[in-house]
Amino acid sequence: MKSIVLIPAYNEEKSIETTVADIRENAPGFDYVIINDCSADETLKICEKEGLHVLNLPINLGIGGAVQTGYLYAYKNGYDYAVQFDGDGQHDAKYLGKMQEYMEQNKLDMLIGSRFIEKEGFQSSGLRRFGIRYFSALIKLLTGTRITDPTSGMRMVNRDVIKLYADSYPKDYPEPESAVAIINQGKTIGEYPVIMRERSEGVSSISPVRSVYYMIKVTLAILVEMLRK
Amino acid sequence: MMTLRLQVIIGICLIIALAAITNMIRKRKLELKYALSWLIAIVFVLILDCFPIFLTKLSGFLGIWAPVNMIFFLGFCFSLLIIFVLTVTLSRMSERVRKLSQAVALNEEKIELLLKEQKQGEGPEFARDSEALMSEKQ
Repeated sequence: MKSIVLIPAYNEEKSIETTVADIRENAPGFDYVIINDCSADETLKICEKEGLHVLNLPINLGIGGAVQTGYLYAYKNGYDYAVQFDGDGQHDAKYLGKMQEYMEQNKLDMLIGSRFIEKEGFQSSGLRRFGIRYFSALIKLLTGTRITDPTSGMRMVNRDVIKLYADSYPKDYPEPESAVAIINQGKTIGEYPVIMRERSEGVSSISPVRSVYYMIKVTLAILVEMLRK
Repeated sequence: MMTLRLQVIIGICLIIALAAITNMIRKRKLELKYALSWLIAIVFVLILDCFPIFLTKLSGFLGIWAPVNMIFFLGFCFSLLIIFVLTVTLSRMSERVRKLSQAVALNEEKIELLLKEQKQGEGPEFARDSEALMSEKQ
């Protein structure tokens, strides 16, 4: 079984090294690859200096395009499992091994690391939690699948889903939409309780000003995804 | 009926636009493929402008009182159509750019890997062969 951690990185110069160190130490069975989404800071230089494994995008594609580059890499290099992992220090690599075991045991196609099962650790701010609940309810209503943390950026998938995502993946705010896409393909999604930290560095890709746009866009994207079924 | 004055003004504007677009195509600043819809729109409106009888008939058919409004209406419809086609083209373009840059990133990684292996002396077949040849010659 070959597994890989996909780390999309945009301006993560301060946290990228510790993220990789965390994975090397706490998830020894996993390869990793950083996808540098044309960072404006020293992310690339640090990766090159430290000899980190990096895919360097020549232009900024946004989170969706960056993550998809990782899936493309995982697909072409014959990986059986791929897991998305934020480069900003939010996620904890010690869960990865357990998540893979859980996936194999339960024969799942995707396993989402959820903050809201055991409700421990950083729970996100009030407004954002409201948004997350809204998407959770919407997905439940449309697909019947319960996902407590549909915007979680910590998601492990098997080879089938790697292939689907290498083919097509949403551009921006991709998490809820891409989950619905694979549910409609008959794939199974489970959740695994994780504790996340508050991001140590960098800013969220979703600023408060954009949150209204975010809600509308993702809602429409999910509805369109239902039409593709 | 349109006044002759308006007819002339519109006609001149259209001819200037036609000349400008043709010139840009000539200088390869504009691709004929994408300019085609503009050219067709301009020629069509120009015909209506030169022969207002078509315009009168058409506007009578559609229930538009002043034929000149027909020109504006048609121009508006054409513009919307062209803008929409551009949006479609833009979507396709951004998809292509995305795929292209992903391919570039993956290839770059492959090259880096090859270079590294080559440096360590256990490089790919072709590199080893040439190195072996070099040492034989010496």
